[in-house]
Amino acid sequence: MATTVKDVKKGAKNLTTDKDLTAPAVKPLTLPKDNPVIYPLTLPESEARRQTPAVGQRASRPDGRLHGLGQTKYIDDLTFPHMIFAKVLRSEHAHARIISIDTSEAEAMPGVLATLTGKEIPVNSFGPTLQDQPVLADSVVRHRGDGVAAVAAVTEQIAADALEKIKVEYEVLPAVFDSLEALKDEIKVHPPHSNIYTSKVIKKGDVEKALAASDHVFHRQFRTQMVEHVPLEPHSSVALWDGNGRVTIYTSLGRITLGREDVARTLGMAQSKIRLVGTIVGGNFGGKNEITNEPILALLSKKTGRPVKCTFTRGDEFISSTIRHPFIMDYTSGVNKEGKILARKIRLVLDGGAYCSWTGTTIGKGSILAPGPYNIDNLLVEAYAVYTNKTTTGAMRGFGAPQVCFAYESQMDDIAEKLGMDPLEIRLRNAFSEGSSSPTSQVLQSVAVRESLIQASERFGWKEWTQ
Amino acid sequence: MIRRGKGMACMWYPIGFTVAANPSAATVKINTDGTATLLTGTVETGQGALTVLGQIAAETLGISTDDVHVVSADTDSTPMDTGAIASRTTYVTGNAIVRAAEVARQILFEAAAPLLDVKPEQLEARDRKIQVLGFPSKSISIGKVAQHSESVIGRPAIGSASYNPPTVAMDPQTGQGKPFNTYVYATQIAEVEVDDETGEVEVKKIVAVHDCGTPINPMLVEGQIQGGISMGVGFALQEEILFKDGKQINPNLTNYIMPTSLDMPEIEVELVDNYDPTGPFGAKGAGEPTAVPTAAAILNAIHNAVGVRITSLPATAEKVLAAINEQRAGEGKAA
Repeated sequence: MATTVKDVKKGAKNLTTDKDLTAPAVKPLTLPKDNPVIYPLTLPESEARRQTPAVGQRASRPDGRLHGLGQTKYIDDLTFPHMIFAKVLRSEHAHARIISIDTSEAEAMPGVLATLTGKEIPVNSFGPTLQDQPVLADSVVRHRGDGVAAVAAVTEQIAADALEKIKVEYEVLPAVFDSLEALKDEIKVHPPHSNIYTSKVIKKGDVEKALAASDHVFHRQFRTQMVEHVPLEPHSSVALWDGNGRVTIYTSLGRITLGREDVARTLGMAQSKIRLVGTIVGGNFGGKNEITNEPILALLSKKTGRPVKCTFTRGDEFISSTIRHPFIMDYTSGVNKEGKILARKIRLVLDGGAYCSWTGTTIGKGSILAPGPYNIDNLLVEAYAVYTNKTTTGAMRGFGAPQVCFAYESQMDDIAEKLGMDPLEIRLRNAFSEGSSSPTSQVLQSVAVRESLIQASERFGWKEWTQ
Repeated sequence: MIRRGKGMACMWYPIGFTVAANPSAATVKINTDGTATLLTGTVETGQGALTVLGQIAAETLGISTDDVHVVSADTDSTPMDTGAIASRTTYVTGNAIVRAAEVARQILFEAAAPLLDVKPEQLEARDRKIQVLGFPSKSISIGKVAQHSESVIGRPAIGSASYNPPTVAMDPQTGQGKPFNTYVYATQIAEVEVDDETGEVEVKKIVAVHDCGTPINPMLVEGQIQGGISMGVGFALQEEILFKDGKQINPNLTNYIMPTSLDMPEIEVELVDNYDPTGPFGAKGAGEPTAVPTAAAILNAIHNAVGVRITSLPATAEKVLAAINEQRAGEGKAA
């Protein structure tokens, strides 16, 4: 049967549902009357970009130029015909069992085209090492940032309003917020599993014997806080499910290859059916290294036949994306009279939040780096990461290194003060040099810690500087 | 009274992940005018990675940064990449690009060798030409060689390769092993002013001296260091997510305080002259380590200024003042 023009028109009309027609009208876009060309595009090219050899040149960035001209397209700048908007409802409790989720009232709202709950997601779990995190929680919520249902509507405002119409019945469970409390396993975040979901030991020499033989022993506990990456651009993605069952997702993710693997796993689809496209990420700092809304938007796009966009609010960014691990760090160091560190014993407790995320890498780097860039023959590092009913902690610039550096460098100054040594001297006495053995007994090459200490002290005028 | 203090902190930081596979792949295509296209699966996250990666491809091919167009961030067309994470892009993706560009360059050498009456191993790629080592006047432009290879020989000058840093798994009982292929080092020195009546800390200056191996683009390394210091200042003095019964109480930029341009100290940056034989042209990395020693240096400077050791971050004015008052009370008792 031949398709007539009338049929095509009829099909096109179906794309605009009755719900669209009853939705509040969008305010028309007004352009300023005077709309001049703002900038010339014949700008001089950077000489450094044309030089050979290329390495070592202070070459300017092509993307920097586009930022300056306002031509960069971030994900939220992308728009597609018939595009709709998604919002995610977050948990009301830090720890609770979900008894029921009723989305019917939200679905009945004018302008709402679809809702989604965790039970509709083919494989409802993800995570870079442990897949312990639901895309949308379907049985238990483990922190206030867990999503429980999503809505797609013709405007962001309608989607946000519809979230308030979703009825979720919870049975509140006891929660644990303090990492030292969580170590006791009295309240479990992922029963029957222990809250201690990963640990690490680094052992070298005989730390107890060396501490006993030390002239001075220093002990202190150091603590660090939870911080957010605060990228200028919040997480954003747009999913377009096409008629061939292939989905294209434009996303602010910083790692698209592995993002595609994760999306394929959650949707139970072949990688060849999924395309992830990035543009320029407006700040990552570790916070955009795993999927968040991508599978939700893909399924909402499949349900509605529309491109679906979701951009996090600043609140979503804080509450539902990952943040930095707080560390509780006990440092004990044994030192001889000359200021040589003979032994260092370290215990780290990482607050992992509700899910594993990038804790494996954080505990690994944190423990290996914890003794500092110093030659210490006797070492014991014990590190534990625990679940708590708080925001998930994950990758953030330095993976545990800023935390342990605060502890080991504070203790270096404690030692210097007690021994009446200059902070520079105590560091130079102990610092790695070419061929030093790391805490994992790796022979180090291209070591430059002494050079950096000396060069920085000269530049600052360390010896001459007085209060 | 305003009291001044100085504090230093040094650090070390690994490039890449712990033991887990950490590969990147790259494809380099040479155009018939001697320019090139680099395909990478990484994503530009604002640090200038694509510029650095283009410079690495250009260096291998003997062309300029501007001669290389970089295509990134599309799983339909670009090769796999572990991603913009763990300060791995310059080192791991960079090493993959060197290898991919070498494959493409070898195709050019093999196409040019009979034209120049030499063996392929007697050739080099330099200043947009394939030329005989020691006889730079005997040369053909890269564009012409690429065209010859593609249309006469039937071998397009396209190279692909991947790189995964060699590591040795850590022993689960003792943690001994080779978890990373290389590390970078740095020292930052802070000068602060502490108001001993309010506890308020102002960071006046940070001198930052970093090792990143060969700086592929010194300007972009300097940018990374300045950005890292701004995060370090926030971590040291201001930023903290606060909870009440598991609920964040300051999830907004009104109540979550972070440094603005007005909080930034004067920053002096220097790079250590270094070369790592395992990195692309001696380069290692510069992303995360720039944020590592800042807080430690500032906290040591606070101690130097007012004699109190703050053991939990952030060192807010309230916390510093409480420590100063406690110290004074202790001195009062002693007297």
